[in-house]
Amino acid sequence: MNPGGPLYQLHNVVHCYNDTRALSIDRMAIPAGSVTGLIGPNGSGKSTLLKLLAFAFNPTEGEIRFRGRMAYPFSREVRSRVTLLTQEPYLLKRNVFDNIAYGLKVRKDTDRLVERVEKALATVGLPYQEFAFRKWHELSGGETQRAAMAARLILEPEVLLLDEPTASVDVESAKLIRDASLAARELFGTTLVISSHDWHWLYEICDNLLHLFKGMIFDSGMENILSGPWEKQGDKLYAKNIGQKEKIFVSAPPEGKSYALIPENSLSIIPMDAETTTSHFDNRLEGIITRMILQKSSMEIIASIMISDLFFTVRLSGETVRSLSLAPGVRVVIRFQKDSVKWL
Amino acid sequence: MDFLLSGFIKALHLLLNRDPSTWTAVAATLKVSTGSILASLAAGLPLGFVLGYFDFRGRRFIRTCVDTLLALPTVFIGLVVYAVITSRGPLGEYGLLFTLSGIAIGQIILALPIVVALTASTVENMDSRLRLTLVSLGAGKKDLLLTCLWEVRYGLLAAAVTAYGRVMTEVGISMMVGGNIKWHTRTITTAIALETGKGMFANGIALGLVLITIAFAVNMSVSFLRRK
Repeated sequence: MNPGGPLYQLHNVVHCYNDTRALSIDRMAIPAGSVTGLIGPNGSGKSTLLKLLAFAFNPTEGEIRFRGRMAYPFSREVRSRVTLLTQEPYLLKRNVFDNIAYGLKVRKDTDRLVERVEKALATVGLPYQEFAFRKWHELSGGETQRAAMAARLILEPEVLLLDEPTASVDVESAKLIRDASLAARELFGTTLVISSHDWHWLYEICDNLLHLFKGMIFDSGMENILSGPWEKQGDKLYAKNIGQKEKIFVSAPPEGKSYALIPENSLSIIPMDAETTTSHFDNRLEGIITRMILQKSSMEIIASIMISDLFFTVRLSGETVRSLSLAPGVRVVIRFQKDSVKWL
Repeated sequence: MDFLLSGFIKALHLLLNRDPSTWTAVAATLKVSTGSILASLAAGLPLGFVLGYFDFRGRRFIRTCVDTLLALPTVFIGLVVYAVITSRGPLGEYGLLFTLSGIAIGQIILALPIVVALTASTVENMDSRLRLTLVSLGAGKKDLLLTCLWEVRYGLLAAAVTAYGRVMTEVGISMMVGGNIKWHTRTITTAIALETGKGMFANGIALGLVLITIAFAVNMSVSFLRRK
C-alpha cells in the first residue's frame, strides 16, 4: 500500500507496436481521487496510455506502479479495481442486463443484482423496464455507450479510464456520460483519467491536464505545437507560412519537418489596438479570440486564438483578461521570440 | 429413368415400413458420427481457441499443418487407422478393427482439423474490442476463454455443423476400418455404396433420403438457435 502517495507512477515507460514507438513517458504520476485529462491529436498515444493504465497489456519497457507496487505481472485483484470505457465500446452478445451484470458475475458478487443494475442504468438515464432486456443490437450508439458506462459504474471502480467517451454520441448522451463519470467520483471516490477532444469539459473538471504528442507527455499546460515544413529565410532563420501573409519565424530546426513547441510562458497577448511596437519580438501574429474557458481548478482562463487556420492557446489570469478587456471576438496580437521555440 | 422413380417409391416404402437393415445402418451412422463429433469438439474447440487467440512461436507453421490436414483423403485416414488397430498394429490388442469405435477414431482424425481450423479462424476474426472489454470488466483467464467462445458461438456452431456433415457423409474410413458388416458396422454411406453396386437403387435412395433429412434437421436446429 502507498497511503497518501500517487495512485499510479510510471517510470521510463515505452510501448511499441511492432517496431513503432507509440508511447514514451519518462515520469508520470496520477494522484488518487483526482481527475486527469489527456489532450492530444489522434495517434498521440492517449489510447495506448489508457490501455496501459487499465493493465490490458504490459509496456514494452519501463515500470508502472499502482499504489506504490509494481503493477505487473498483473494480478486479477489489481485489474479488477480499474476499468476502461472506450470510444466505441463492445457490448457482449446478450441483453443489457447481462452486459451490465457481467463484471459483478465474474467477481462472484451477485447480491442485490437486480437492484444494482437498475441503479446503474438510472445513473446513465436508461430506465430499467425499458432497456434491461433489450438485446445488444437493439440500442442506438448513444444508448450503447451509456449501457457500457453503466457496466463500469456498477463495479464502483477505484479508477475509471475514459477514452473519448463522448466523441461518437449525441448531445444528451454526452451530458449523461459526463454527469455519470463525475457521479462516480463523488459517490465512490473514483479516480478519473479522461482522454477527450472536448476541451471545454476537460478544463472544467480536470485537476491535471497532460498534453500528449507523438507518444510523449508534456507537463500540464497549454503547449502549442506547430508542424513543418520550415523554409530557410536566411542565415539560421527559418519560417512557416500561415495564411497568405503571416509567417512564423524560428531558429534552425533539426529537420525541415520538425515539430516546434512554443511554451506557454513565452507567449504574450495584447489587444490589437493596444499594440505599439514590435521591434523586440521576432514573431507578431494577428488573430482573433475564438473562445475563453475558465479552468475551475486554477481559476485561470484558457483563451483560444485563431490565426489563419491555426489555433494557439494561451493561459491568462482573470486580472489580465479584465485589464486588457479580452473577450471572444476581440482581435489580438500574440508575440513570442523565435529562440523560445523548442524542437520535438 | 423409370428405375430412379421406382427406386424412390420403393425407398419411401422401406423407410415407412421400418426396414430393419436400413434403420440399423441409420442408427450406426448416428451413433458413430455423433460420438466422433463430440470428441472432436471437446478437443478441437480449446485447441482452435489457443491457435486463433494467442500469438506464439510456431503458430503460423501449426496453422499451415492444420489447414493441410483439412484435405486429408478419407481413404488415407482409413489406411492409417487400419494399420494402427489391425492385430499386427500398435493398438491391435484392443480389438478395434471392424468396430464402430474403430470408425470413430478415424472420424475424429477427419473432424479434428476442421473444428480446430474453423474455430481458429472464427477466434482470429473476433472483434478486437472484445478482449479489452473483458479485461476491463475484470474477467480472469477462464472467463476470458468461456466468454470469447460464447461471443463467437455462431461461428463455432458453423464449424461443428461442417465437421458433422463431413464425418456423417464419409465412406472411406467406414468402409476400410468398419468393414461394412451388416447389422454391425454398416453405415448409411457404406450401405449406399454396396446397394448401388448390387443394383439395389431403392435401398440406396432410401438411405440417401435419410442422410439428407438428418443434414436438413441439423441445419434447421442451428438456424433456430441463431434466431434465439
